[in-house]
Amino acid sequence: MAKYRTYPYDRKKYQSNQKPVRSKRVPKVNPIVKYFKDLGTCLSEGSTCVKLSTVFMGLGHIYNYQFVKGILVFLVQALFIVYLIFAAAPNLAKFSTLGTVKREAIFDPLTMQNTVNEYDNSFMILLSSVCALFIIFMFFLFWVSNIKSMYRTQLLLEARKHVNTFGEDFKELLGEKFHVTLLSLPILGVILMNIIPILILITIAFTNYDQNHLPPSELFTWVGVRNFVKLFTQTTTSSFGYAFRRILEWTFLWAFFATVSNFLLGHLIALLINSKLIKLKRFWRTLFIVTIAVPQFVTLLLVRNFLADSGIVNSICSNMGITAFLQNIGLVSKNITYIPFLTSPGWAKVTIVIINIWVGIPYQILISTGILLNIPRDQIEAAMIDRASPYEIFKNVTMPYVMFVEGPTLVTDFVRNINNFNIIYLLTQDVYVTTDQALANSHGKEVDLLVTWLFRLTNEYYDYKMASVIGVIVFSICSVFTILSFSRIVAGEREEVFM
Amino acid sequence: MKIKRAIISSLLHILLAFITFLWIIPIIWLVVTAFSGYRGIDISHFFPETWSTKNFGTILFKPDSVVQYVTWFKNTFIIAVFTCIISTVFIFMVGYAFCCLRFPGRKQLMVFSVVLNMFPGVLSMIAVYFVLKSLGLTNSHIGMIIVYSAGSGLGFLIVKGFMDTIPVSLRESARLEGANELQIMLKIILPICKPIIVYQVISSFLVPWGDFVLAKLMLNSGLSKDWTIAIGLYNMLDKSLINKYFSIFCAGGLLVSIPISVLFILMQKFYIEGVSGGAIKG
Amino acid sequence: MRKRVLSIALASIMVAAAFTGCGNPEVANDTAVSEAPAADNTGDSGGTDGAAAADAVQNLISSTTGPVDLTLWASEEDQDFTQGVIEDFKALYPDVTFNITLGAESESTAKDKVLTDVEAAADVYTFAHDQINDLVNAGALQEVQATYTFDVKNANVQTSIDAATVGGKLYAYPMTADNGYFMFYNSEVIKDPSNLEAMIADAKAAGKKIAIEFKNGWYLYGFFKAVGLDATLNDDGKTNSCDWNGEGGIDVCQAILDAVASGVVVNMDDGTTVTGIKDGTVCAAINGIWNAQVASDAWGANYEAAKLPTMKIGGKDCQLSSYSGFKLIGVNPHAKNIGWAMLLAEYLTSEEVQTARFEARNLGPSNINAASSEAVKSDKAISALAAQAPFSTPQVIGGNFWSPAETLGQILASGNPDKTDLQQLLDTAVEGITAPVND
Repeated sequence: MAKYRTYPYDRKKYQSNQKPVRSKRVPKVNPIVKYFKDLGTCLSEGSTCVKLSTVFMGLGHIYNYQFVKGILVFLVQALFIVYLIFAAAPNLAKFSTLGTVKREAIFDPLTMQNTVNEYDNSFMILLSSVCALFIIFMFFLFWVSNIKSMYRTQLLLEARKHVNTFGEDFKELLGEKFHVTLLSLPILGVILMNIIPILILITIAFTNYDQNHLPPSELFTWVGVRNFVKLFTQTTTSSFGYAFRRILEWTFLWAFFATVSNFLLGHLIALLINSKLIKLKRFWRTLFIVTIAVPQFVTLLLVRNFLADSGIVNSICSNMGITAFLQNIGLVSKNITYIPFLTSPGWAKVTIVIINIWVGIPYQILISTGILLNIPRDQIEAAMIDRASPYEIFKNVTMPYVMFVEGPTLVTDFVRNINNFNIIYLLTQDVYVTTDQALANSHGKEVDLLVTWLFRLTNEYYDYKMASVIGVIVFSICSVFTILSFSRIVAGEREEVFM
Repeated sequence: MKIKRAIISSLLHILLAFITFLWIIPIIWLVVTAFSGYRGIDISHFFPETWSTKNFGTILFKPDSVVQYVTWFKNTFIIAVFTCIISTVFIFMVGYAFCCLRFPGRKQLMVFSVVLNMFPGVLSMIAVYFVLKSLGLTNSHIGMIIVYSAGSGLGFLIVKGFMDTIPVSLRESARLEGANELQIMLKIILPICKPIIVYQVISSFLVPWGDFVLAKLMLNSGLSKDWTIAIGLYNMLDKSLINKYFSIFCAGGLLVSIPISVLFILMQKFYIEGVSGGAIKG
Repeated sequence: MRKRVLSIALASIMVAAAFTGCGNPEVANDTAVSEAPAADNTGDSGGTDGAAAADAVQNLISSTTGPVDLTLWASEEDQDFTQGVIEDFKALYPDVTFNITLGAESESTAKDKVLTDVEAAADVYTFAHDQINDLVNAGALQEVQATYTFDVKNANVQTSIDAATVGGKLYAYPMTADNGYFMFYNSEVIKDPSNLEAMIADAKAAGKKIAIEFKNGWYLYGFFKAVGLDATLNDDGKTNSCDWNGEGGIDVCQAILDAVASGVVVNMDDGTTVTGIKDGTVCAAINGIWNAQVASDAWGANYEAAKLPTMKIGGKDCQLSSYSGFKLIGVNPHAKNIGWAMLLAEYLTSEEVQTARFEARNLGPSNINAASSEAVKSDKAISALAAQAPFSTPQVIGGNFWSPAETLGQILASGNPDKTDLQQLLDTAVEGITAPVND
């Protein structure tokens, strides 16, 4: 049984006020303001132990005889200080310039060795600084929460209430604090693979990191919002503004058509398969699922060759006279002897949407089969008793139910299609050549989505700065759509309906 | 009446058969090309003029610097197994925390996660590469496992949607009987979530088989024995190789799909339940 | 005097070593014999005195204690051959333990891999010479300040050295001189390969096609150069100057449009060309040595190669021009064992390896002696390249060239579907090609 320091017991103060911290909570206060207000309260009203913790974390615990906790917290602080001095500070010092010493190597022909100076690597400075700032921020949160917990302990002790021992705290991880246990590892992973990279992406958007400034041999530095200005304006020497507008338009158009076509056709085919008039339902469904079984990139690369200008489909079409027919009705230019499925702007856009239907519908069939199986039977039966026609049943029972269940996912699919990298990249890379010269001057293509344009800028032209600007824009667009659709679901009471 | 029904029925069958035909035809092309005796792309004949199984022989028994299929399969399989375990565990934990537990900041964290999840990895892959490089994990399979599974917790929404349909009373009564949260999670919720877990296992198992962008960036030593199936197959369609390796590419694509189809057909029931159950709420 | 003695001693050690320490005496014999005099001859222009060079190698051997780790990238097709050469290289230095890892990376895409992360790239890698400017700008090539086993600058043809030189400094070792393009054709169909008009008539009569990849700036360049219009890199090493929109530019466009409109000249990329050759629809192609073998297999005795034909542009017969191309080997300045990396690169481009490479893979040597052998001279493709040589220029162009040129080619090859004014087409293309590279 752990001992605790005894505080002077002020009965008057606590009898009237059972929950001292809670009572201070004012409804509808900006959470950030409240966060710092609470911190202020802790610091002003806290006793010695709280004040001790502000400088030497852990001392407060030890002052309260909580030795194990105290040592653990103190170790965290010590580690942080060591990290700050030895790893973070040297990089943070160069953060404002991103390095000033260029790499210089002197080759000695006799020893056949390079002598390299102590050079700065702008990217590593940026990376370490972003990590350091992030860790400092996390440490600040830890520091505040430590102070607040000290203050809470103090209040509990003053009120002569039970304070958790280390063992009890540990046990809480399976009870009250179970979410901490569950979420720590996944959050760590997300920080490493998602948050830090996104922070780096955002910072690169404000630098001149491109092919002429590639570390380790060159330095790059901050340039302010110049890259954003470049993306939105069109001058005689830069067509980025034009390319951005064209590609953004197509991105939205594509996302709309891809989402709607998949949704509608998927449900129609699922309805057809599940119709009473169709036999061997499982057989038909399995045939569609076969297309899922082959990995997507294999099928897409296959289809790209299948529909190539001198591919098998074109040979067959030209033998059957389809190419000539299309030329006669003006869909195919007379100058070419093939159907440009993936090589002329108009054809390519249509083909891509159709192939997306081809790829997406098997999944849609799986989903809607599940949903259709869940349609409340009684409603359909009631409708049948009323002698409603199949069309009326579809319109008045099936469709509303499907929309209720699937409506929200349409927005998710829309956002996902904005970022549908695989389909566009695998179908058009190395095949499609743009005929729009202004687009070509910015390395874009008519069929590009923002993501594939970004990928080409990074992968082939090393224009990381512009790619990052586009990345930031894509991120903002996606965030807006997602928040619009999800805050309603998450914040509303919808998630409680089934409980 | 009956005759009319039969006519409609057969018309619908014909329609369905036609649609299915459209869906299947590239797959048929994949299969016949894989069995062709010709190594490049045959653009004048749909069905090959000579049939042979030597493409399969090449990829299984005669590795060269371009084709190391068995090694790739092993690499991908190991990465896939670990990715699938870690991802499924992460997603289940996060889904459970958001569905069944109440803690301060929960809703904000959820919205934040959903937004982050919408952000495609392709955008920030250079940063991911250098983060892994500073940890010394590029060109290693551990690095690949981390790339595929570390951020997987963000994909919790479908699992949460499924769990939301489980009545609260089940958990309450268990709590009254003195079970702690861990026990409730493992003994009560986990068994009910079987369909959605199967769905998650399949989906996360498939990720390493289909990704070539990240894998290509991370495994950049130029040694084909380090690669995964996706990079290997993608590499065969390089301009200088496609005319020698296209039918081998098809054979390789076909072989990958066999274990996946078996998995799918076995799990079809769970998959449908899982995906639709999740979609109801997700 | 002391140095001279050392150098001779070194040479004899190497001979001895090669004789005793190698499982393949034949190869070892060859290398040792050509190696020893080379070490002596380096003297005059290699930057270091010949004896000093031998000294340096000797120093390197004695200062190397642990195993030497080296990584090397060569193209997929070169893997077997290069693996053999690596074994020979190891045998040259029996006192040193090597761990040489051979990776596969196509010469045409080496830049993409290297620039993404220079530090992770191989110590020694092969690349097509058009990437040299970008690689040097990114600090991905170690300057060749000294040579040790033979004099790279004098042993290779001057154009290949020019191609490996940036700003007066040599940055890479020439490996082949065959990376340009020429024409190969089926002599059964094409009777007169000297002018495009006759070729079109022949091909039309036989119902076959001629493959030219217009939608690739690399090939498109030759058509404009034929009338004296140029596109080159400026002295800053980043931006381009281009006068395609000058006088005669419209004629070039019109000539290409006319050729395409005949239905015989078809815009085909590499893959399609090969397929077309195999299934017999293509009877002639402007392409490179990498596809010549396919044509030679398909057409047998009818396979012929020649310089590019003339083309009627603006009423005159103009000889089509071309880019000449070289494959180079570079050393990564971030390599841990830079000395050994340089020695390996030298060995991979030495005369006997170039000769062996020609014998094994039919690749045209850049080494003067290797290129002058009878076998090389009688190779159809290589002699066609030699015939084209007077009309070719080494490719020196900045990155902004490719996208606009590609699009211009695509528009012309698809018959100018929007009927844009040709002068305007050229003006826009030139605007893109000469766009400033801001920093």
